[in-house]
Amino acid sequence: MPSLSSGPEQSAGEPRRPKRASEEQGRVVMQPGRPRPLFFTGKRPKRDRHSRRKVAFFHFRNYEPAFKFFVEQVLDADFIPLPPPTRRTVKIGEELSSDYVCTPFKHIMGDYVEALERGADVLVQVTGFCRLNYYGELAQMILRDRGYADFDMLNFSDVGTGKVRDYVAYCKKVVNPNLSIPHGVKGLYAAWRMVEHIDEFRDLYLARAGFAQEAGSFERVRRSFIARMNAATTLSDIETGFRQSVDELEALPIDKPADPVRVAILGEYYTAQDPSSNLGLEQKLLDMGVELVNYMSISNFNLHYNADATRASITEYSRFDMGPTSSFNIAAAKRAAEEGFDGIVHIKSAGCTPEIDVMPPLQRISRDYHVPVLFLTFDTQTSDAGLDTRLEAFYDMIAMRKVRS
Amino acid sequence: MQSVFGQRAPFADVRRVGIPRALLYYRYGIAWRTFFEQLGREVVLDSPSDRGTLEVGDRLSVDECCLASKLFLGHVAALAGRCDAVFIPSLMGYGRFETFCTKFQALPDLAENAFAVAGESLRVISMRVEEPRGTSEEDAYLGVAAELGATRKEGRRAYRAAIAAQRAYDERMAREQEQLVKSLAKLPAEERPLTILVAAHPYVSHDPFVGGVVEDALREQGACVLFADETDRARTLKKSYDFSHSIPWIVNRELIGSILMLHEYVDGIVLMSAYPCGPDSMADDAIERCIHGKPILTLTVDAQGGTAGVETRVESFVDILSYQKKGGYLHA
Repeated sequence: MPSLSSGPEQSAGEPRRPKRASEEQGRVVMQPGRPRPLFFTGKRPKRDRHSRRKVAFFHFRNYEPAFKFFVEQVLDADFIPLPPPTRRTVKIGEELSSDYVCTPFKHIMGDYVEALERGADVLVQVTGFCRLNYYGELAQMILRDRGYADFDMLNFSDVGTGKVRDYVAYCKKVVNPNLSIPHGVKGLYAAWRMVEHIDEFRDLYLARAGFAQEAGSFERVRRSFIARMNAATTLSDIETGFRQSVDELEALPIDKPADPVRVAILGEYYTAQDPSSNLGLEQKLLDMGVELVNYMSISNFNLHYNADATRASITEYSRFDMGPTSSFNIAAAKRAAEEGFDGIVHIKSAGCTPEIDVMPPLQRISRDYHVPVLFLTFDTQTSDAGLDTRLEAFYDMIAMRKVRS
Repeated sequence: MQSVFGQRAPFADVRRVGIPRALLYYRYGIAWRTFFEQLGREVVLDSPSDRGTLEVGDRLSVDECCLASKLFLGHVAALAGRCDAVFIPSLMGYGRFETFCTKFQALPDLAENAFAVAGESLRVISMRVEEPRGTSEEDAYLGVAAELGATRKEGRRAYRAAIAAQRAYDERMAREQEQLVKSLAKLPAEERPLTILVAAHPYVSHDPFVGGVVEDALREQGACVLFADETDRARTLKKSYDFSHSIPWIVNRELIGSILMLHEYVDGIVLMSAYPCGPDSMADDAIERCIHGKPILTLTVDAQGGTAGVETRVESFVDILSYQKKGGYLHA
């Protein structure tokens, strides 16, 4: 039997590897002075205690309305929206980061610089179970070394205890000392609902947009949905906006074959979702006329995730939890295989250790269930044309298998 | 996790336990060996890494894996036919910011799946240490003892012996290093040899195939080599909180603590990592930014590169240091 899964050794674009170690095997640095702590101890410009803080998030898929809602309704501060990332954003991020740090860090660094240039004075970073833990602190250090002094970091790694009370105290300290708890709880629930709706909308979109009768119609509805979410200030705005947009989406005419080609996407948390990191992979697949499911989302992985049930479903492939999203992805791949998807696309950023370790179990699933798995690695250099070629080849392969079976 | 003494012992028939000479063997190897020997098992070690190990490991691994994990699979393959089962623990960590690289959590599954994909069979004894979620080191060891068919008493005795043996060894290394540093500090400046601190994961600095070249090259140049992973661990770990509160990896913490503690006694620092190391990609960046006052050589060891490049770089680094010591350039 020919191997169904593609070679994991190729990157998504042209077969370009990250810089080999032998090309840059060593460097010597020497800076004058005493060792200093990594966290910032120097003097900072004093700010007006009563001024509203300007908060910016990094760029992440289309969650910006939810971030905006969180900042405005929960933290009661101003939100600085970011423009879509450009070549320049990526370049800045690349330049500020060390060579083989994970790719999301580079994207996020670029976003932070853009945000600071637009006047943000609080940058938000989340925490996780891998290198992500350390993103906030290192990013802050790099930006301060670059001369950006006048900002604070809302870095959730700083809250070591994981208790809600400590998170609230931390947000009060960094962003808004007058934060209202009842108002914040209400806002947080609405933000939660908005994230769920954004994910639900995306799932509907991915299932249908590949079969649109009128080109661009789905994109138009998606944009209007995001605009509605952006304008929302209350829970009822969110609910009505969502319902209207779903009705519009479902009313769009489609030509869906009885048995379409179905592809499941999973992989590393950031890259698998964020179109600017994965070069619009979802849209590329939709354009080929595919029904898509993307398992990775905040709803699926954070809000509705049942770790024990997930682990229990994959005991034959993995004995222990292997890192942040590993169990989730193995379980998702198994589910996709059982549900009869025609192909699985596994996406990760270059050098993502947990996702590299997920690859052998996925290869086994591919073999056990006879479902092709395409492994894609993205870094800041990955080229569009190379990705197109690989996706087309993958599509041709799974479409052909479908016709034959 | 409750251990299951007297209920089931799937590994009761295992007489010869293989321990791969790679990764955290260089940190916990003595404890692991003592533990199995106390339980009456024969411990099989394979030979130190060489090119053959890497070639076998490379074939079994996904291409993007780090050099150290490829070597690990090579070692597992070398043991596969020579023992009844291989011991591969899954180590998550001891605290919120004292964890291991996710690679060490994944090792048992990685090995089992890699062997399954390659169509070979592998029997793995494993355990999980995850103290933030309540699986302590002792529970984990006792679980292994139960699976091997030992009683709770035997298990506990073996665990205590294992920990004591490892601690005795670590303390001896720390004491020797402390004495060496003290005696160097007593020497008059002109007689003191160049002292260089090698800060690298123990499986990089002490594996002859990976870090051996660097150590040899440094010694050949007449330098006195200190290893950051041999400094007293409890103190280095505590010290590292002065440097960073959220760096999550315990080994990197200890290395950073050691750099801070030995900073005034050394002439230069060598940071060495196996290509491409996740934790080091961020920790080394932070170290280069924050450890001022001493020249730092950052080396990335890649098996394809050959050793000539590394030797040249180490030589030129030592040259820089000797110039500086004599009052030469670089802010002296």
